[in-house]
Amino acid sequence: MRPQFSIVFFTTLAGMAQGLLFSLAILDFPVQIFTQSFLSTFAFPAALILLGLGLIASFFHLGRPERAWRAAMMWRTSWLSREVIVLPILIAVTVLGLLYSLTNEVPSWLWIAVIVATILLWICTAKIYQCIRFIQEWSHPSTLMNFTLLGITSGWMLLGVLVGLSDGTKEFPLNSVMSGISFILLFVAFNLKLWIWRRNRSLRPKSNLASATGIKGTNIRQTSMGLMGGSFNTREFFHHQTERAISNIRKIVLLCTYIFPMIFVAYSISSPSNFIFILALIIHFIGLIAERWMFFAEANHPQNLYYQRVS
Amino acid sequence: MNQTMNPKKETADHKKQLALVIDLNVCVGCHACVTSCKEWNTSGSAGPLTDLNAYAANPSGTFFNRVQTYEAGIFPNTQTVHFPKSCLHCEEPPCVPVCPTGASYKREEDGIVLVDYDKCIGCSYCSWACPYGARELDQERQVMTKCTLCVDRIYSETLPESERKPACVLACPTSARIFGDVHDPKSDASIAIQERSGYALMPEWETQPANHYLPRSIMETIEAARKDS
Repeated sequence: MRPQFSIVFFTTLAGMAQGLLFSLAILDFPVQIFTQSFLSTFAFPAALILLGLGLIASFFHLGRPERAWRAAMMWRTSWLSREVIVLPILIAVTVLGLLYSLTNEVPSWLWIAVIVATILLWICTAKIYQCIRFIQEWSHPSTLMNFTLLGITSGWMLLGVLVGLSDGTKEFPLNSVMSGISFILLFVAFNLKLWIWRRNRSLRPKSNLASATGIKGTNIRQTSMGLMGGSFNTREFFHHQTERAISNIRKIVLLCTYIFPMIFVAYSISSPSNFIFILALIIHFIGLIAERWMFFAEANHPQNLYYQRVS
Repeated sequence: MNQTMNPKKETADHKKQLALVIDLNVCVGCHACVTSCKEWNTSGSAGPLTDLNAYAANPSGTFFNRVQTYEAGIFPNTQTVHFPKSCLHCEEPPCVPVCPTGASYKREEDGIVLVDYDKCIGCSYCSWACPYGARELDQERQVMTKCTLCVDRIYSETLPESERKPACVLACPTSARIFGDVHDPKSDASIAIQERSGYALMPEWETQPANHYLPRSIMETIEAARKDS
């Protein structure tokens, strides 16, 4: 598939916001850890900015953005429609959290709502891809696990940065804890990615030219796709990159999303440093963009069987 | 419940499903179906089907129907197969439930899968959910387009009755395209499928395409010759 930056940015930015909100809720729900001023000036505004940017990015995916409201109609059958409903709900819950934190303590029911909304949004986003059964790279629970885990990881790291910058905790030594858990999350996400890539390599395409055309005979090959110029089919479903570019981007994914951030946060476990943590987050996010780009580029669509040769 | 009382109303197991049956024995790959489809649909109620840079180095256009060419076998026992491909109007269309706006739908009355261009937001999700690549996003209008089975021809009251067929069917010089109700066992389309072992594309995804293809009978002869030699 052709990676589209609108979706790459939406899923990474919203994923990070979800991770931040989820981490806040998990930490603050049982015992209040964060000060009100931290929540109202750092955490909730950061989540809202990310969700807002993600929302803006998602509009660039649409050919007819002025009709976007219609996308909430088919929630009974479409995961995309469900996502379009859950995203504003999460934004509303976050705004409510911000309003509460300005005047009061954030009530525990609101934290529960945050947890539910973030999880629902992860499910909706991942299911959009996972439910396409003939894109075998996507059609597996690891898609949901990967989206959720990377969202939590990036959001947790952002929370670590915000805590470091604001010192916004009530007498709780979070810095080393944030680094330690970041390391664990990165390590688990790293192994999941390696497992997903191993699975992708071992996939046997269910469709082939024999099933796509039904031609009886051996050695079937296409001699003409029926057009010599470009078409939607030749643009939308191929990544249009060389093998070399793909293998380089794969290296960027490994190094930037996982390995460099793991080294940095491991360092900051023993000697907490805001600078190192911020650096880790920035590199991780760059890697995350590459990771999501690869998620699309790696997906093989069976329609490509019909578009193999120009003549 | 009252279906038996009303003879006009069709029962569930006798729902109409219009479709094309394409005879690979006689398709000569002339692309007349492609051009006639484009001509009718770019000027009909579904149009326009935009062509960008039509006369420049990198032309790009929207088509509902393409004719592709395949080869099979090993020299000297090879065959060239011309293979028209358009929307297969699946009985279980995977493109329909994913549409977030309801712009993509399958008609109850005749099984044609259509896009309501006024509701489409151009998210392309339906095209991802079609394993056949039957849908094309129109670059200028930014809405998803696809074969309508010439829904604006087949029910026309102004066209002569003999012309109330999809444009591609009328244009085909070798009658390689048979149009009809594949749920009616007495239709030409159903008879062709039954008697000449019509098959569906990519049966592994269980989309149950309504369009069928008739295999080249000469392939069996070739295979037999290959085994003899």
